Amino acid sequence: MHDLVSIDASKLSTRQINVRLTELIGARKDIEIINPKARHNIIVGILDKCNITVRGSLGYYCASLLDGPSIVVEGNSGWALGENLMSGNIAISKDTGASVGASMRGGNICVGRNAGARAGISMKGGSLVIGGDSGFLTGFMMQKGQIIVCGDVGDAVGDSMYEGEIYVGGDIASLGNDAVIVDITKKELISVWNKLEENGIDKQPEFKKIVSGKKLYHFDKLERLEKSSV
Amino acid sequence: MCGVIGVIYKNTEATGLASVGSDLIKMLESLEHRGRDSTGITIGGVENKSDYIVRFRIEGQNSNALEMLSKGISSIGAVIEYSGFANGFGKICVNYEADVGKLANTIADIDGVEVDSIGTNSEIVKDVGDATQLNNRHLIGEIKGTHGIGHVRMATESKIDVNHSHPFWAYPFPDISVVHNGQLTNYHSLRRKYQDMGHKFQTGNDSEIISVFLAERIESGLSLDEAIQESLEVLDGTFTYLVSTNDGIGYAKDSWSAKPLVIMETTDRVAVASEETALLSVFQDEIDRFEPQEKECMTWLV
Repeated sequence: MHDLVSIDASKLSTRQINVRLTELIGARKDIEIINPKARHNIIVGILDKCNITVRGSLGYYCASLLDGPSIVVEGNSGWALGENLMSGNIAISKDTGASVGASMRGGNICVGRNAGARAGISMKGGSLVIGGDSGFLTGFMMQKGQIIVCGDVGDAVGDSMYEGEIYVGGDIASLGNDAVIVDITKKELISVWNKLEENGIDKQPEFKKIVSGKKLYHFDKLERLEKSSV
Repeated sequence: MCGVIGVIYKNTEATGLASVGSDLIKMLESLEHRGRDSTGITIGGVENKSDYIVRFRIEGQNSNALEMLSKGISSIGAVIEYSGFANGFGKICVNYEADVGKLANTIADIDGVEVDSIGTNSEIVKDVGDATQLNNRHLIGEIKGTHGIGHVRMATESKIDVNHSHPFWAYPFPDISVVHNGQLTNYHSLRRKYQDMGHKFQTGNDSEIISVFLAERIESGLSLDEAIQESLEVLDGTFTYLVSTNDGIGYAKDSWSAKPLVIMETTDRVAVASEETALLSVFQDEIDRFEPQEKECMTWLV
């Protein structure tokens, strides 16, 4: 546990907030941000382990391009929270807008309540846990990793997904192109429950598992290295 | 990009008219980053002792236009109760019992005159520039009412001038106007259909069709809620739009949930906006917000 240093966002420009964060992380401080007032682009491009707590709501593209930090948000966020997360943890207590965890490659994001449209779009790894409902096109074109939605999902879940798994505890409005529901094994269910427990969410008894049907795979042209191995 | 906002007070019969103008300006200022090309508002439920409030502009150096306007209005038997004009922007309050379409046409047909709105209890004020400039020029912050909508514009589909600024009044239907974030892909076919039905379009902006569509459906007997529901089937493209009438506001979101909207509601007030930062500019405490999803719509009445 390091000393806790407070940054009052209302007194600083976005660039000043992010510069101040970098300075404090270099000095091994724990940080809280007060008065964020749903502003955009706060907490971006941090490649160190650190603890940051945000007391209030964030705007668009916050906690993005991160590799290592542990972020707690006491509020909501706008679009694309945790975009391109490489490693680390983001826990947000309330709702997020569209595209939470877009293109994330690792780490863990937990949304306490509901996520908007396109949650986990094009994700390439890591875990996205949503305590409530998730919107339209959840897991659109996801390539790896797992999404766990405890509540309901909107239309076209898992549309055009390549790999990865989407677990849904509630109702599925509709499956996307080439997304299929498959049986969930006891081992997978226990792993989902463990993941929920890690994120402080009471586990629920049942989950449906959605994966790619792989009918959209049409790789009829071989790559250069593949040709040599044929 | 563009930003939309709206606010409605639910208990103004008990509390008196609310500072809607001030709310709208604060919210628009906090969304400045979504567009600075032009900014505009509709305020509804304003005090009005005449039949209609007319907001108009005189373009360029047209010194005869004001006189022509006065003569034109008298010629159809309408009586001007109040008249104010400065820097090209004017407002008149008119008593007129016959068809409002005739009043609108009479004013709009005068060379150099553009009609921004005609309403029984609402008015549109829009101008190029940002929200602070709009307020400095037109003193929006002082206007009291029951509800209103507003828009900051980053132009994509049509040119930057006051005519192409939001809100768009549903000419010639009193009090109905729309602000829109998005692009409509079936604008031209819809516009042709409504032109064939006799509607006159004031601009080449796609968003204007939404207000004309809603007004026409309400005129034909639908409620605001039903008209908005129908618009979800008719409009193609991306949209989050807000509509203001004489007694309420409503919103609709497209089937891709492509454009944002968040809502905060208390017992006496509802505020809606493209981003939460605008809601926090008028709600002091961080109360729970609600984010509508694809193909959703809702209305609130005063």
